[in-house]
Amino acid sequence: MSTEIMYQVGGFILSGAVVAIKVYVATIVFSIPLGMLFAMGKLSRCKPLLWLLEGYTWLFRGTPLLLQLFFVYYGLPYYGIVFTPLIAACVTFVINYAAYFTEIFRAGIQSIDSGQYEAAKALGMNYSQTMRRIILPQSLKRVIPPLGNEAVTLIKDTALCSAITLPEILKNTNSMVTTYFEIKWYFFAAVIYLVITLVIIQVFKYLEKKFGYYR
Amino acid sequence: MEVISVQNLHKKFRDLEVLQGINLSVQKGEIVSIIGPSGSGKSTFLRCLNHLETADKGSISFHGNYIAKEDSKTNKAIYISNKEILSVCNKLGMVFQNFNLFPHKSVIENLVEAPMIVNKKTRAEAEKIADDLLKKVGLSQKRESYPFELSGGQKQRVAIARALAMEPEIMLFDEPTSALDPELIGEVLQVIKQLAEERMTMIIVTHEMNFAREISDRVIFMDHGEIVAEGTPEQVLVNPEHPRIKTFLNLVK
Repeated sequence: MSTEIMYQVGGFILSGAVVAIKVYVATIVFSIPLGMLFAMGKLSRCKPLLWLLEGYTWLFRGTPLLLQLFFVYYGLPYYGIVFTPLIAACVTFVINYAAYFTEIFRAGIQSIDSGQYEAAKALGMNYSQTMRRIILPQSLKRVIPPLGNEAVTLIKDTALCSAITLPEILKNTNSMVTTYFEIKWYFFAAVIYLVITLVIIQVFKYLEKKFGYYR
Repeated sequence: MEVISVQNLHKKFRDLEVLQGINLSVQKGEIVSIIGPSGSGKSTFLRCLNHLETADKGSISFHGNYIAKEDSKTNKAIYISNKEILSVCNKLGMVFQNFNLFPHKSVIENLVEAPMIVNKKTRAEAEKIADDLLKKVGLSQKRESYPFELSGGQKQRVAIARALAMEPEIMLFDEPTSALDPELIGEVLQVIKQLAEERMTMIIVTHEMNFAREISDRVIFMDHGEIVAEGTPEQVLVNPEHPRIKTFLNLVK
């Protein structure tokens, strides 16, 4: 294999990394705030909302992400809803990951001692002031480690999008391997994933440190 | 002038009658201690006053304005709206057994939080009040520290300052020294004594009998959700008539 072709193949696989990162960023940006919002809904006293969110997290955590991708990309067109592979991937990932983040934030909020609510109330703070200023900032610190876990899983899950023809890392690697019969490109892909996860891990280490100013 | 008045207060936790008809009226500048065995309903009673617990029956009023009013037919406590309750209850300062400082905020931020957010004070105003209070409780040098860096006694003094920062008309103390190591109790009691000298209106739930005798105008002995005896410290603590108080005092000695 000539050097020129190697560069081309490498570049082609790297272009898949750009696509994967697009899905990644969209998912993080939308599903974290959604998860936070849904978590508050899950802790509200409004029963119908509670059941709705309970059903939502059950459905999206209880079925394979791959199935959800298939449904959104191949299934929804039967109902007249057609997405490009990239949009289908983003939509599915945001909804799926928001379900996990909902549970993480719910647990984080519930882990805050009831004394914090009582102190805030005794000082005259209302519910939204208490949540915004006292409870959520403290739960954020506690959910950083599980969020980091999900954030690492997410970049690897983007590989599933190869099944809906999204030209991401794995899809591009596969087509190169089958074209040139060289399995070394799998190692190349693995290195890309490792580099990205290394960055994610460092970001979360930084966040943990940033929130480490108090105990 | 009557600051707080409670009539016929009842509270049940499932089948357990925690409060069985409490009546109490506290005048401005009065210092009332509530003593009694564990599970007698002292803390629950105190927590009903600022709506950390909801009473089932009876009335609670603050300066003659009802927070909860007893329904004349059913005796049920009918509360005013949550918003109104909050605006009344921020006039009642509360100090908890477990301090409940905000761990993510420094000492000064703990003190300015509610004055700024609830009372809409500017940061400068709030910090001025906070710094004066920190001086009063002897913790000016801990201004920028975080709660985890403080001893239990220091935490509780910050908690007292935090409650005072809201300029309350009455202070409620829920066993303020029960979570402290013995050698740290004194510094907290000292701060409360100082407030007593300034005639801050206070209701104190405590197990510190000597302290209660020393600073209270009135001592209330509660048992099984009822006020068993009430009177001056001499009447209740020094020469108790009631056998249940005698037994209790012998136990805690």
